[in-house]
Amino acid sequence: MMRTFSGRRSVLPKCNGVLSGCNGILLEGRKIKRTGFFPAFFGGGILAAAVPIVNMAVRSEMYLGLQGTAIQILMDANWQMMAMLNVLLVVSGACLLYHVEHADGGLQKMRSLPIREGSVFFGKVAVMMLMCVLVLAMEAASVSFCSWHWFKGQAGGGQWRGEGGNMFAIELCKSFGYAFLLILPCVVLSFLIAEACKNMWVSLGIGVVCVFTATMLPTSSFVLSLFPFAMPFQVFAGMEAAWVTRFACAAVVEIVVLGGVERLVVRGKGAFE
Amino acid sequence: MNFLPLLGVEFQKIRRSGIFIILFASTVILWIPSIVNSESNFYMQAEGVSPEHNFFIQGFMAMSWFMFPASMVVGTVLVSQTERMNKGILKMLALPVGTVRLCLAKFVVLLVLSAAQVLMMTGMYYIGAAICSVTRDYDFILPPLFVMGKISILFLSAIPMLSFFWMLSVCIQTPIFSIGIGLASIVPSVLVINTKIWFAYPMSYSFFVIVAEYGKLATNLDTAQVEFVPWIPVAVVISMTCLCVSCLCFGRAERR
Repeated sequence: MMRTFSGRRSVLPKCNGVLSGCNGILLEGRKIKRTGFFPAFFGGGILAAAVPIVNMAVRSEMYLGLQGTAIQILMDANWQMMAMLNVLLVVSGACLLYHVEHADGGLQKMRSLPIREGSVFFGKVAVMMLMCVLVLAMEAASVSFCSWHWFKGQAGGGQWRGEGGNMFAIELCKSFGYAFLLILPCVVLSFLIAEACKNMWVSLGIGVVCVFTATMLPTSSFVLSLFPFAMPFQVFAGMEAAWVTRFACAAVVEIVVLGGVERLVVRGKGAFE
Repeated sequence: MNFLPLLGVEFQKIRRSGIFIILFASTVILWIPSIVNSESNFYMQAEGVSPEHNFFIQGFMAMSWFMFPASMVVGTVLVSQTERMNKGILKMLALPVGTVRLCLAKFVVLLVLSAAQVLMMTGMYYIGAAICSVTRDYDFILPPLFVMGKISILFLSAIPMLSFFWMLSVCIQTPIFSIGIGLASIVPSVLVINTKIWFAYPMSYSFFVIVAEYGKLATNLDTAQVEFVPWIPVAVVISMTCLCVSCLCFGRAERR
């Protein structure tokens, strides 16, 4: 353990951008090995994936006759709950990832290493992105299982070979790719909160208050639904193309702005500590 | 050490935690949309509920479904993590204080936090109702006795949930699991209150009683009402079991 670590450290000062990024992710991955982070996300993913299956198993008659494609019906019925679980996972995961740094002055030790300070943050964000991909993939699998099992004979959910199957796969990828893009501002903001607050309950408390605010915001207002914690609740299926573009652009802008704020926070903290 | 001084010590520990600011912020955020959209309270004829009752109960419903349980999860994190930081809990366990007593003192702190949040919520309700009464020229303020009755039901129904969350944070050493299970268990309560076995799920109690109250106030709405017979015994058993388990587990990982 010791040997590999010191070996890596000697590599670090020489490495260029891409390599140091990879190192950052590896380093973060090693830190969270025994924190229960992976099993927690795995469990959370299973829970969120179970939502549509349980919902369809209990009351499939409510949804089978509805208009629209299978994905659209399933997302409309279940996405609010699944997105809520995703956001809560992201918030608590972000708190944990910075808790391991804040707990015994780990962040200060990291500063003494020859790595750029921002790479800690972006390493953590990258780990969280991987976890989000895992969770969303599990949810996508569950949604496709539901459409196969319950909507097989129906229009829009039916064909599994040829043209129809391709269309289903494309719509599924678009839906969950969009969900991934819209959850990123939430990821970056929760890490920003977790980095700024030393105590875990403060960052968790702020995160939870933000999630609560997101649930209280009226969905009719475009400006208010741009709140990073409210973005993941948007559903791609059935949304007009113009709105999809607007939300996607807003998400990219938010990620860039929040990333910039993070640089400022790091500078500010460095000046005070 | 007697129980009361011990309780004083526990409160001393969380004095500078800033938890009250978080609890307060959530109650402020809760009432702002209600105040802004207070006009919608006048269009509830379909449900048959009067505007002032609607204003009151909608706010409390929004609170009891997510924010109130979630703040209590944050509260358990606060109470358990302040001690684990810098190994404070080892020092506490070295003192001639019974672990059961220590565990119960911390649980009482949690109860006080939840009571504080309910009271803040009520205080903000009165401020919000007063603002709306002025702006809409209609008396939104309900008699204090009525409000007190409702908030005490809300508080009492949350005790089994609190004991469950407390058990999670004591027994599960890895913080992400206790937080994750706590937060994740809140989400299905919307589904659980619509089933017949809601009384087996402590996280749904506070939401269920508020929805039941809404059904009582709205003449045209038919929500499930509270039935005390399976509920109270089950709730007592759940709370007692969770508290006993947490008292038994308390400090076990540190003493090893």
